[in-house]
Amino acid sequence: MKSGTVEATTAELMAVVMARGFRDGEVVVMGAVPALPLAACRLARALHAPALAYIVGGSGAVNPEPDALPASSCDLALARAPSVLPLTEVVLLEGRGDVLDVFCAGGLQIDAHGNCNLVSVGDWARPALRGPGTVGLPFLPAVRRSVIFTMTHDPRTFVERVDFVSGPGHPAGPTEDRPYRREGPTMVITPFASLDFEPESRRMRLVSTHPGIHEEEVRRATGFELAPGPVAETEPPSQEELAALRRVDPTGVLRR
Amino acid sequence: MELGPAVERWIPPGSFVAVGGMHMTAAPMSLVRELVRREVHIHRLLTSPSASLQADLLIGAGLVSEIVSPYVGFEHLGLAPCFRRAVEGGELRVLECDEGSITHALHAGAGGLPFIPCPPGVDLTDIPAMNPELYARAMDPFTGEEGWAVRALRPDVMLLACHEADEDGNVTLDRFPFTDRVMALASKRLLVQVERVVQTAQIAVRSPGMSIPGFLVSAVVVTPGGCHPTASPGGYEADEGWLREYLQVARDPEAFGEYLARTVVDVPEAAYLELVASRRAAADGATR
Repeated sequence: MKSGTVEATTAELMAVVMARGFRDGEVVVMGAVPALPLAACRLARALHAPALAYIVGGSGAVNPEPDALPASSCDLALARAPSVLPLTEVVLLEGRGDVLDVFCAGGLQIDAHGNCNLVSVGDWARPALRGPGTVGLPFLPAVRRSVIFTMTHDPRTFVERVDFVSGPGHPAGPTEDRPYRREGPTMVITPFASLDFEPESRRMRLVSTHPGIHEEEVRRATGFELAPGPVAETEPPSQEELAALRRVDPTGVLRR
Repeated sequence: MELGPAVERWIPPGSFVAVGGMHMTAAPMSLVRELVRREVHIHRLLTSPSASLQADLLIGAGLVSEIVSPYVGFEHLGLAPCFRRAVEGGELRVLECDEGSITHALHAGAGGLPFIPCPPGVDLTDIPAMNPELYARAMDPFTGEEGWAVRALRPDVMLLACHEADEDGNVTLDRFPFTDRVMALASKRLLVQVERVVQTAQIAVRSPGMSIPGFLVSAVVVTPGGCHPTASPGGYEADEGWLREYLQVARDPEAFGEYLARTVVDVPEAAYLELVASRRAAADGATR
């Protein structure tokens, strides 16, 4: 897609959209395969959220600025950080909840209410697809809010109801009593679109389609009925955003 | 201690074995490969919150009856082929769990607590209901509220990869600790593979608070390069080329069997480490 004379890749656009959603002062936690959310955090810090902090998965590294975006959350380059929390202590803070603001999550399946599934597709006992496992996704409702992102937007990923709830989303309805839940998932970012949740029904709804993507394509790629609402076009990355993003991604991990 | 006798002495067949390292960093692969060579049956395997080859290889070799792990996979490289095949085929019992609960369960194991309440969030998932062996309902005696609790984890033996040890078995953990320290404290025995042996005085000075005292260590084996193909902090990066080939080969059970024979079963660890050293030297030469 065009932004002046420079083309942004889909991953770059998604990182820019994610960065815009971070507010100054938030503390963000991410898990495995951290390149995209890590880039988004650094971009947000460079532009509108200088006091944002981020923790990179299993490494426990806080605000690392590696020369290249790492593919792995345990990459040794992440040790170049102003602080490192042992993972056991990240777990403590995730449970405590009130010091962490945003959890970046994903899943093999993501459903209409933002539940994520990293465990199994089909019957749990004899799954059609065994996923890797849930890792820290149960903490999603403990932190203030979550941002869901995925590189796969198709009807097998976006399902009405996940086969296994491994990362809790919004309650399915007003009668479902769920204690201590806070904002829940606030944003979903895919290669096609940016989505959120309708406050009454708590169902996912389309906010904006990325440049060049038709609304109908998004609905076809989604295995459930999205809640109604006005749909905009995603603002393409500005020159400033793209230049700042490429400073934190000099080797082009998000351009592959 | 020599690798073979250490494994034979400290890991009897049918043990509850814990294995350290997270994703593709600091996996104690020399110890894991020796278990495969000796065909040591593992009744229950516990991993860190994210395991890769240290679990997949043992599962592929058919040595594991049941697993406690919140994640077996290869992060950006893909899913774990042997783990997937074993679970989808009903050949491996999964004790479903999450990172928070097992980390707390290890703290409970290390501190002598019989169980510990689960952190918030797990109760909103399908996980505890699938695993009555580790999770049970419990009442908060102070508020009367009900919630989930998790049973303490006390593995028979943990396999740990560290950079250095001294002659007395004191070990540095001068790297991302992951959950390796609490796993070491919770386990009844601890087998450590290190890159090298150093003099005593160096250890505590370099990593105060991040070492493991020798009185907790059953045996140390010295296997330079032994985390291969995973990374060893302070030593070497993960060998992604090797791992990608593994992921390709391990999809097919027959090809995996040949791979296992060619790279593990028919190759003593010393020969494996020589092969890896020459592979690394060639790669270094190529980049210069």
